[in-house]
Amino acid sequence: MPREALTKPGKLITLSISIHRLKTVFFKAVFLFAAFMLLAFSRADYGDTIVVGSIGEPRTLVPILASDSSSGTICGMIFNGLLKYDKDLHLTGDLAESWSVSDDGLEIIFYLRKGVMWHDGEPFTAKDVKFTYERLIDSGIRTPYAGDFIMVKDFQVIDEHTVKVVYGEPFSPGLSSWTMNIMPEHLLKSEDLNNTSFSRMPVGTGPYIFKSWQTGEKIELVSNHDYFEGRPYIGRYIYRVIPDQATLFLELRAEGVDFSSLTPLQFKRQTQSKFFEKNFRKFHYPSFGYTYMGYNLKDPRFRDMRVRQAINYAVDKDEIVRGVLLELGRPATGPFIPESWAYNKDIKPARFDPDRAHQLLKEAGWSDKDGDGILEKDGGKFSFTVITNQGNEQRRMTAEIIQRRLKGVGIDMKIKIIEWSTFVSEFIDKRRFDAVLLGWGLSLDPDMYDIWHSSKTKEGEFNFVGYSNSEVDRLLLEGRRTFDRDERTRVYHRVHEILYEEQPYLFLYVPDSLPIAHRRFKGIEQGIGGIGYNFIKWHVPKDEQKYRR
Amino acid sequence: MNRLIISGSIIVLFFAGLALFAPLLAPYDPGMIDIDNILTSPSGEHLLGTDSLGRDLLSRMVYGTRISLLVGLIAVGISAFIGVILGSLAGYYGKWVDALIMRFVDVMLCFPTFFLILAVIALLEPGIVNIMIIIGVTSWMGVARLIRAEILSLKERDFIYAEKAIGASDFRIITRHLIPNAMGPVLVSVTLGVAAAILVESSLSFLGIGVQPPTPSWGNILSEGKSVMGAAWWMLFFPGLAIFITVLGYNLLGEGIRENLLKT
Repeated sequence: MPREALTKPGKLITLSISIHRLKTVFFKAVFLFAAFMLLAFSRADYGDTIVVGSIGEPRTLVPILASDSSSGTICGMIFNGLLKYDKDLHLTGDLAESWSVSDDGLEIIFYLRKGVMWHDGEPFTAKDVKFTYERLIDSGIRTPYAGDFIMVKDFQVIDEHTVKVVYGEPFSPGLSSWTMNIMPEHLLKSEDLNNTSFSRMPVGTGPYIFKSWQTGEKIELVSNHDYFEGRPYIGRYIYRVIPDQATLFLELRAEGVDFSSLTPLQFKRQTQSKFFEKNFRKFHYPSFGYTYMGYNLKDPRFRDMRVRQAINYAVDKDEIVRGVLLELGRPATGPFIPESWAYNKDIKPARFDPDRAHQLLKEAGWSDKDGDGILEKDGGKFSFTVITNQGNEQRRMTAEIIQRRLKGVGIDMKIKIIEWSTFVSEFIDKRRFDAVLLGWGLSLDPDMYDIWHSSKTKEGEFNFVGYSNSEVDRLLLEGRRTFDRDERTRVYHRVHEILYEEQPYLFLYVPDSLPIAHRRFKGIEQGIGGIGYNFIKWHVPKDEQKYRR
Repeated sequence: MNRLIISGSIIVLFFAGLALFAPLLAPYDPGMIDIDNILTSPSGEHLLGTDSLGRDLLSRMVYGTRISLLVGLIAVGISAFIGVILGSLAGYYGKWVDALIMRFVDVMLCFPTFFLILAVIALLEPGIVNIMIIIGVTSWMGVARLIRAEILSLKERDFIYAEKAIGASDFRIITRHLIPNAMGPVLVSVTLGVAAAILVESSLSFLGIGVQPPTPSWGNILSEGKSVMGAAWWMLFFPGLAIFITVLGYNLLGEGIRENLLKT
């Protein structure tokens, strides 16, 4: 193993090596004490750059249009919401200093921070909040988030730094919906948000200021020295787009990338070396999301619920979790992660049972008449294509396992792998697919109106499979109309039950998050929701800084 | 027969044999997923190890031979077919026919072939059949030029004049007399073309736009190998080796034939 690891030894590391040789308890104790003192008195240094590697490129940096995780990540650096989640996943103030909710839950008053400036020097005021709200409910704008904001009955600007939101009926995701990033009115009031240069040149209030974007290559942000929570320690943030996990990994290996996500295989088998132990720190915690295969429910084959149930019996989810995730994740039975209170633990995942699948397909009228191993019905063969995005090996492998299992029950599934932005704009948004293998990142509130309500099927909206069930529609509304946790639990448990029964998606797995960060970054703390919530506190000691600029 | 032809033939026949008898030679079903044996290194049970879904690499390699050879041969067949027809028309009729066809050849040669292929694939769907067609229709220019040059000299020979004198049709002259006599150089070019086509298919599959899963091809095994680099050397080594040896084999054979032609 080459030893390039030693090019930049930090003080503590050098010391700990020499101490190793001394091997006396006494010196160890002295050293530990010294190290402790050193840590206690060393103050965090400003400077250095973090290079983040990702396989996806943001599609837009207009925050209310951002629906993919890359766009969300960058928007999160540049913009702020009124509220945000802290380490323990509690809501806390962001652009709002504080807030109050009336006893009936219908009115929220946000008291905004004073003295916050947009990156271009204009002050942030209640007008910006009002503007963002108005754009969110503007039906001419293709935002997938409108559902949360059409619930607002009245929006009042009380003064420059106070806004009042009034709901017509109780709306439980109300508070958490105001984590939505706020956009600057003065720059956007006469812009068409669907088609604006702002989407590639955003101006926000957040800890980092947008600097440049080279398409297909990188996005560069610099720290906002006047950030209201204090100047971030890390001076520059570079988001490198490397659309292939293997290449990304090689970049990590070459230390060209400081922060990235690992695949399960990389986590378990490719980062055990001394080099990685010494230079990188790995993290491992449950992610807020799940991977699924969604059916185009307009397709007559998939409109039949028995067919979807049959596929659920035919695919072994444990096999996928073991084979693809190497046990770094769990099978999914519905649209929540198992840690959530909304998750219905009474739902037992269907056992892998090809015979049951056969039977269901037979009931649905599918049988192999010509003996070629593929089922037919009304002269047509059961053959469909699943599409997924390029660059994600787990999804390709998952698709191959599903393909194999479906072949076993007489369904011919083809796999088509498509580059990400074409995948979204040409296939998902336009509903041009038989089935799609994708994942959802979830918000903390279990409200899933945008994904499952039958009204959310327009272009760019999230119910692209075309699911429609009047009971689910009603329950989703009910779940948002009450603050009562027990009541909401009942509602979401029922939704979970219906979705599992009807199988609009083949729910596959909840993967674990497997981020990896270079060791020179200090101050990374893992909270319940993972790392990243305290990004502005991450720092690199002066003598370990790599990029001096 | 020279040494080149013999060694080339041995390699080519060996892989042809693998392709032909794949179902008999492969120890396992190449699609059989075994998640309890993911990325196991070469052993008695799995001679070349297993891939990231626990499938037997040897079996996948053997079946992959089929894809590689099939794509190579059919693509070259298509390109030879187009090349021979256009080349002989240009050579035999000359004048504006020649000018038109040869300028078209020049236009086609202006495009870097690989990028032309990438562009065409973006329009069509990736898949074995499309790959064969695309490689075929983007690589016939060399053959066309060769045939044309041969025919230009052949058509001035006495036996062609004799044929014309007894009133043979152009079609007969071209197909019965000109093309068969011009086949030598074409054979060399075609043999070398197979090697090139195998490489192109592997490259496309490596980039994920060639043969689609689960069909194994050397290129997409190699592509998977790239993502497990450092954890499974066999996933890169064996498909790489197979591509290397096969391409070498066809090149040896082609060179051998060329040498033989020059001697006679």
